Amino acid sequence: MDPSDNVGNLHHMVEAVAPSYGPAPDSSTGQKDAPPADMLRIKQQMSNQCFEMAVQLQAGKSKRSCSTSEAGRELSEYVNELDRVKTIHFNSTLTLHRMQMWHAIGEKLKRNDSEALALKAESNRCMDLCSRIKQLQQESRVFQDEITEIQKRRLEMKRLTHEKMKEMDELTSKAGHPDTEKYKAVLERGQANLEKYKKMTVMTQNVLRGILLACKVNWLDDPKLRDIAMTLEEFSISD
Amino acid sequence: MSLLKPFSKLPGLNSANILLVESKEEFQQSLADALVQETAFTVNVRLAKSLPLPMENEESRPRIDLVAFIIDLTSELSFQSTEASLKCLDPGYFLGKVCFMVTNARNAAAPIERLDAVRKLAASLHCPLLFTEDQRCVMFSPLQTPDGVTNATERLLTILKVAAGLVPMATALYLSNLTRSTVSPDIDQPSFD
Repeated sequence: MDPSDNVGNLHHMVEAVAPSYGPAPDSSTGQKDAPPADMLRIKQQMSNQCFEMAVQLQAGKSKRSCSTSEAGRELSEYVNELDRVKTIHFNSTLTLHRMQMWHAIGEKLKRNDSEALALKAESNRCMDLCSRIKQLQQESRVFQDEITEIQKRRLEMKRLTHEKMKEMDELTSKAGHPDTEKYKAVLERGQANLEKYKKMTVMTQNVLRGILLACKVNWLDDPKLRDIAMTLEEFSISD
Repeated sequence: MSLLKPFSKLPGLNSANILLVESKEEFQQSLADALVQETAFTVNVRLAKSLPLPMENEESRPRIDLVAFIIDLTSELSFQSTEASLKCLDPGYFLGKVCFMVTNARNAAAPIERLDAVRKLAASLHCPLLFTEDQRCVMFSPLQTPDGVTNATERLLTILKVAAGLVPMATALYLSNLTRSTVSPDIDQPSFD
């Protein structure tokens, strides 16, 4: 853009600085009594800034062309790698702090002054508490085992009860069954016999009827023949 | 034509400088007042209507750690002014030192296409997109009005702290990878009205 645009738009471009009402914690130059924590913080900030500038310079040096999608994929890989390294670094820092703490405590105890005595008393108390904790944990584990044992037994009981119930059901359903089996067979045989004899009877009756008719006997007058002829009517004539 | 460059000056000790660019100059004042309340470190807030910034302040201006563009979705001018201002920014800023702040997104007068356009802009530049409320659109509960500014301040401060290097083990570039706004692939489809 050429300067004439700037001049023309000058009345649009107003830059203002907001007044800072809050107390300025550290003036940027010449702090005499800044606490060490603040100094460390400032140092970290500066190292961060220098790192950013170094990154910028580095980026300017190595230029290679690749597609956006490839860059995106690589970027996610790098970010994962970065996260992994950061986690490792964080864990290592924590371990280092722990070691430093323990070393300091050890040194303090060795010096054997009043604070060291208090520290020793505290650590003894901690030890007692820890052994009590272990004991309680042991007891709770024993109780837990017992509970598990009882639960297993109860489960077993349940299973047995279930089986017994099933057996009982089977038996009650079968109890009527064998009799009805034989019964049915006998019944069927009886019925078959009945049918057979019925047929024979009907056939004999038909034959007798035929004989009576053929002989042209007057059965109405004779009482004996009449009785026999009456009984012939009872059974239906079947083929 | 002067581009605003991120690394052309030395950084300030224990301080962070933020530049709020808004064409309407309404929200930035309240936001600025809330930002300077931060006590852990010095926050210098510079306000501008648009870029490029005037040359006469060039010497006294400190290094800008974060440039926040405030876009009002109910006005087209705001969006266009932001787009024009983006050209006056050195590309080095887009590696985590720029963020977009959108106001009035819930207003019925804001067309959806503008929001989509802002989303696409933020996604293409790999910058975070924040949604805030300013005082105008919240009329129902008076308790809500200062919260919009407070929320916006908190989020801006989070990003500002990283951009100024005040957060150990985090740089603006790293944070931008975590907070970049993305555009879902179906943003081109018409939305339901």
